[in-house]
Amino acid sequence: MRRIGVGLRPLLESVLAGLIGLGVGAIIMRAWGYNPWPAYMALFKESFGSGYGLANALANATPLILTALTFAVGARAGLFIIGAEGMMYMGAMAAVAASFFRLPSGWHALFALLGAALAGMVWGLIPAVLKAYRGVHEVISTIMFNWLAHFFAFYLVANVLVDPIRAEKTISVAKTSRLPILFRGTDLSFGIAVAVGLAFLFYLLLWHTVAGYEIRAAGANPHAARYGGVSPRRTVLLVFILGGMAAGLAGAVETMGRPPTYAVYSGLTNIAGFGFDGIGVAMIGRIHPLGIIPAAIFYGGLQAGARLMQMEAKVPFEMVRAVQGAIVLALALPELARLFRVFVRRARFQEKKT
Amino acid sequence: MAEFFLRAERLTKIYPDGTVALREVDLTVHPGEILGLLGENGAGKTTLTKILSGLLPPTSGRLLTPKGPIRFHSPKDALALGIGMVHQHFALVDTFTAVENVALGLGKLSFSELRARLKKLMEDTGLHVPLDVPVEKLAVGERQRVEILKILMREVRLLILDEPTSVLTPVETAELFKFLRNLRDRGTAVIFITHKLKEALAITDRIVVLRRGRVAGEAKTSEVSASELARLMVGAEVGLSRRALELSWEGIEREEEGTACQGEPSLVVENLRVRSDTGGLAVRGVSFAVYPGEIFGIAGVEGNGQTELVEAICGLRRPESGEIRLLGRNVTGLPPTALYRRGLAHIPEDRWKYGLILSFTVAENSILGRQRENAFQRAGFLRAWAMRAHAAKLVEKFGIQTAGISAPTKSLSGGNQQKLIAARELSKEPQVIVAAQPTRGLDIGAAQFIRDLLRQLRKEGRAVLLVSADLDEVLALSDRVAFMYEGTIVGEARPAELTPEKIGLLMGGVKVGSE
Repeated sequence: MRRIGVGLRPLLESVLAGLIGLGVGAIIMRAWGYNPWPAYMALFKESFGSGYGLANALANATPLILTALTFAVGARAGLFIIGAEGMMYMGAMAAVAASFFRLPSGWHALFALLGAALAGMVWGLIPAVLKAYRGVHEVISTIMFNWLAHFFAFYLVANVLVDPIRAEKTISVAKTSRLPILFRGTDLSFGIAVAVGLAFLFYLLLWHTVAGYEIRAAGANPHAARYGGVSPRRTVLLVFILGGMAAGLAGAVETMGRPPTYAVYSGLTNIAGFGFDGIGVAMIGRIHPLGIIPAAIFYGGLQAGARLMQMEAKVPFEMVRAVQGAIVLALALPELARLFRVFVRRARFQEKKT
Repeated sequence: MAEFFLRAERLTKIYPDGTVALREVDLTVHPGEILGLLGENGAGKTTLTKILSGLLPPTSGRLLTPKGPIRFHSPKDALALGIGMVHQHFALVDTFTAVENVALGLGKLSFSELRARLKKLMEDTGLHVPLDVPVEKLAVGERQRVEILKILMREVRLLILDEPTSVLTPVETAELFKFLRNLRDRGTAVIFITHKLKEALAITDRIVVLRRGRVAGEAKTSEVSASELARLMVGAEVGLSRRALELSWEGIEREEEGTACQGEPSLVVENLRVRSDTGGLAVRGVSFAVYPGEIFGIAGVEGNGQTELVEAICGLRRPESGEIRLLGRNVTGLPPTALYRRGLAHIPEDRWKYGLILSFTVAENSILGRQRENAFQRAGFLRAWAMRAHAAKLVEKFGIQTAGISAPTKSLSGGNQQKLIAARELSKEPQVIVAAQPTRGLDIGAAQFIRDLLRQLRKEGRAVLLVSADLDEVLALSDRVAFMYEGTIVGEARPAELTPEKIGLLMGGVKVGSE
């Protein structure tokens, strides 16, 4: 277990935290007079009880894996990248814009994916450069860049990429550029392979390459890393490039692999939020690329199960969200506590530097 | 002495990670007595005093006052009873003045009233400090006085001092002792924690020796000898030679001298000026040369620019001006990795800051700084097998005690962490080794290992720059020793030429002989 960088202890902690979360959720439901047992049955039956439900859970997990990777690779370097949301918008825009070109099937999708990755990367590089050369704190800059991306995407959706027939959405992604659906009748596309593949690549990178060694060194002890020849600048740039790529791809899989419309709606309603949810997923997954995969599937399953929980157990939607919130919070807490300590330590480090 | 002030009964402390720091320790503190708490690192001295001062709850056992059992929930409870502690690391706000620092937590008092009381206290105790200068501008000894005054303002009846002399000059130490005796004669109890036998014998009335969390022995100071105490402290542990035992109280024995000042110097520092974090000049024009086959020592009270000097030499701090030459080449301002490739290794003063990445495994730490070498990477991929083989070799060669090379480095003891750093740095095959406070905080065995290592390096013809606040260590190991005071070198000599008076003067910043 240790060899793949996941100890048994974190796993046990997570299982325990999950149980506590379920317990708290049950108490909440009980307190408002709902029966928790059928509610939970419905929740998990929908998402993990059938092939169809599981496929939808996986479909929900696809963008989350990618945005969680953005946060995780940053956190491993001691950076708190809140910018996956904005990078993802840029990726989605690039993925749609790629349909202005005509390319053979397959190649077109690859072209669009690369374009989206590049767009996310470029968008991530701006806060990275600000951080590396001017010391601008990445939490502040990435939050600001989320809003810039938000309104920029707004503009593109309404004016540039707009569907001439249906003004509430962008043009649909060209058929040649769509990711194939893996199971007929579900939303599960080839995007899951992209996401899982990238998670494995990130794992390899972090634990088996020099660049990853240096990223982790910089995150764990910036002083010792600098003494060991790790350039803080290079680390910041590299981490944002990787993170931007992952988040850009999240935007791509959400447009190129999401039937029925394969488009972005005005107001970005169908893609908004994945970047932020990715932060939670990353923490549930212990900011480990491989831990993120089950974490995202679990998270995606919770979302997919919400509908049936409402219908079958007659739990109102707000209550479903509250219960899900309790579960996610409990699962994220152990990592959150750890990251908080890292954050405080880094703040002290910067204080000393100036 | 029937009347006691505080009594601890069967105190046991087990930390959450399972470390047993104290096992059934009994301790009695009498008013008007200086009680020495003696023990090696990890003996439980600090844990015990943390319990006495309310910082930690004991796992079992209890504290008694003459009025009956008592429980401390926080240091406040202990203070209310008149128990105050001066920690090894001061709890002062650097940007505040002495008065402001004392005012913190006292509340109620107006500044003018406080100042008046503080002045009176300074008169009474003889502890004088500048009141209106930010604490960060004060010398370490003065800061310690501020810390003591802060606690005395609360009318303590038991003052606990954790290794108070480790940062002081001999003169400051003497002043502190005078103050402590004075305090005792007025009926206050003092607990004096130390691992220096000479000090314990000099200042205390009674000595309790801790070893591995247990009371190993207790004696009146007037009735005990240094060798008895040393035996109690170290015990009859296997592997610790009798010599190591003697070292702990007779100072460190000198061995044969190196071949000083022969050939071309390996490391030359010329007129170096370095700024500190706060922007002031910490090093003001320092020049010296270290030759192959010698240990060049830099002594002096800490905070006189040694840290900045070492950081500048090792590429961690850019010098303001001056030149550093390594094996004949100008290397001023080069980064650490470039320096290492040119033959310099560094055993850093702060091993948790610059030496190790505690969450990394032993194997990962064993290549820190060399991760880009072809020996450990191919096409950007780490050669895990080569890294592990390298680590295993170092662990064996240096006798590093670890659960395995995949164990996280934070699970190693301080001594083994230091061995790991030394092993890694020496695996770089350096011609010049800069060792800063290399034995600080280590137990006798590990300290001896590091010292032997430095001697070995000298024998192999390498140049060693040793910077240490441990005077005995510098004098014992060095072929030549320079004294640093306020950023300059105030004197350089062969240790044999030095008398205690000379050393005292040099440490205090008075130039000797050279004029």
